[in-house]
Amino acid sequence: MTGTLIQGIHHYCIGLSYLCAFLLELARLLWPAKGWRIAGLVFGVAGLFAHTAYLLVNQPPPSAPYGSLLLLAWVLALFYLYGTVHHAKQAWAIFVLPVVIVLVAMSRVLLFATPGQNDFSFARWLAGDRFWGAVHGVLILLASVGVSVGFLASVMYLIQARRLRNKVAPDSVVPMLSLERLETMNRRALNVAFPLLTAGLLVGTLLLKHGYDIDNWLSLKVLSTAGLWLVFLVLLYLRYGVHVPARRLAALSVVAFGLLLVALVASHPFATGGAQ
Amino acid sequence: MNLRTIGCNVSSAAVDLRERLAFDAAKTQRALTELSARFAAEVVVLDTCNRVELYVSRIDTVAPVHSPLMAEFLSELHGLPASEIAPHLYEHADTAAAKHLFRVASGLDSVVLGEAQIAGQVKDAYETAQQAGAAGPLLNALFSAALRVSKRVRSETGIGQGHVSVSSAALDFVRVVFNTFTDKTVLVIGAGKMGRLTLKHLADLHPAAVLVTNRSSEKAATVANDCGGRVVPWEQLDEALVQADIVLSTTGAPEPIVSRRRFDEKVRRGRGGRPLLIFDMAVPRDFDASIHDGEVSVFNVDDLTRVADRSMAERRRHLPAAETIVETEVKKFVADWNRRANGPVIGQLTAEVEKIRDAVLAPLLDKLNGKLTDSEKAYIEGAFRLFQNRLLHGPIAALHEASHEGHGGLREALMKLFGLKG
Repeated sequence: MTGTLIQGIHHYCIGLSYLCAFLLELARLLWPAKGWRIAGLVFGVAGLFAHTAYLLVNQPPPSAPYGSLLLLAWVLALFYLYGTVHHAKQAWAIFVLPVVIVLVAMSRVLLFATPGQNDFSFARWLAGDRFWGAVHGVLILLASVGVSVGFLASVMYLIQARRLRNKVAPDSVVPMLSLERLETMNRRALNVAFPLLTAGLLVGTLLLKHGYDIDNWLSLKVLSTAGLWLVFLVLLYLRYGVHVPARRLAALSVVAFGLLLVALVASHPFATGGAQ
Repeated sequence: MNLRTIGCNVSSAAVDLRERLAFDAAKTQRALTELSARFAAEVVVLDTCNRVELYVSRIDTVAPVHSPLMAEFLSELHGLPASEIAPHLYEHADTAAAKHLFRVASGLDSVVLGEAQIAGQVKDAYETAQQAGAAGPLLNALFSAALRVSKRVRSETGIGQGHVSVSSAALDFVRVVFNTFTDKTVLVIGAGKMGRLTLKHLADLHPAAVLVTNRSSEKAATVANDCGGRVVPWEQLDEALVQADIVLSTTGAPEPIVSRRRFDEKVRRGRGGRPLLIFDMAVPRDFDASIHDGEVSVFNVDDLTRVADRSMAERRRHLPAAETIVETEVKKFVADWNRRANGPVIGQLTAEVEKIRDAVLAPLLDKLNGKLTDSEKAYIEGAFRLFQNRLLHGPIAALHEASHEGHGGLREALMKLFGLKG
């Protein structure tokens, strides 16, 4: 019975649970009451449970666009839950949940758009099938988490900085972490993401060199990932080399997230076979 | 419920009278002990800079304590003529008294709407009364409920949100920019009195360093001494600005001391994009307003006042919701209390009617002794019990209903009618 229920979970259940959590959080900010927060958390936890169950049952491949987006959404949902509990007074969910919902929705669209890439199984992966392709996918995915956290911190930073510039009373609108804290969060996320992205790109480059023709080198996925890496390099140089103000770095982090989405959505050359 | 709140606040009495009516620890103890003994009452004394109030509760069957009596007592205690006190005292009875306390504890009756400090003062007053043994069942329940209501109002409405003074608004902006303060440097420019409270708030954040600079080194030394800071020569103002994270400027200079050009050329470059918060409390202003941009934020007195005013307006927006919570909680409290008070009355009433039933039934059964079977006897006893239950059903239901509606008049009437003691 429970098994059937879990197998019946799909993107709609996950997305709608997160959407309810988001709407309840919005209601909490508009009409402060303890009930909203508890109800929001219940829906958030339910969404995360459904999300986890779906991942365990269906084992989406990290190298397929729909799989990587869903896995990324799962990590960000964990990030949402951590933030909502840890920074209870902040409007954390308002920023994180829309990203999670959009990723789940995109994953749903891509699940049907790329049906050939969905026959992945962890058992096969563990047995060595497409091992390096999956290592590449996992490294890029972990880097994506860093980019996404950096993006969220940057969005909050830009809004908070704009409020400060307009001399808006801090408590009269959506409460957020301090600029210093957001800047630290962005910096740490990018510092972690860059080595992972570099390693992922290196593995990917070696795979391309050994198993693919020139067309794969010019695919949207490869180009956008390389573009992302370059943006990261520029970001790190601007931060540590020329000490560019945090506001500009935040804006560039948002651009990096855009490139990341393109890279994740683009069809993966290792998803349907090739390098073992 | 036999509860009275008698006292005065900023609306009913001027500050000089409130000062003379203020309670120190000894007077509070004396008031609690004497009022409890004199009126056989439960007592709590609430004394803050904006109000002096006494919460007095007696058992239902005796007369309440009214304000003339309290004026006499306060007159004895403070050595003031009662005629001088009495006109300024207000009195709230029963439900109104409970509602008044709930509003006070929630900051709805405060000068600064929604202030949080009052809840702590109410709690202290209640604990003092408890320790003195002056708080009894009603005041225990009432004050516990008041503190709970205060929390509910604060968490469910925005009545306590935002800072409503210039200094606390400044602190709000500091918290928007910075997360930790132990590695930050505060620079104080000038020795003006304006901004002293802001400086105190900033010093309370325990920054790594407080630098003080002024044209007069003696004045700078005085300010540095007050806030645990270090004096920086006036000539090194630009270097100090490069080093600072938060600036508080309060000079009496007739024109800006830091122009946009000076700031861009001598300060901005050296800062490497680090954020800087400048609170320009001087009038005329010390900093060119055009310095304000993404990295450097300049707030003058008008900006901070505007923020404080906006916060107050925002709090006022939440007032109806807060009043609704208070209203609901008062009804709930009064109904709960009356229900609690009904228990013994219903018990006594039932016992009294049972006594009457037995008094009528026993001689009847004696007279019919030998003529009735056991089952017929049981039937007659059952009929009498049914009669009793049907007789009492109406009054008991009405009593419960009256409790729910929040008045105890019917309970008192029943007690009188049936000669119950309560």
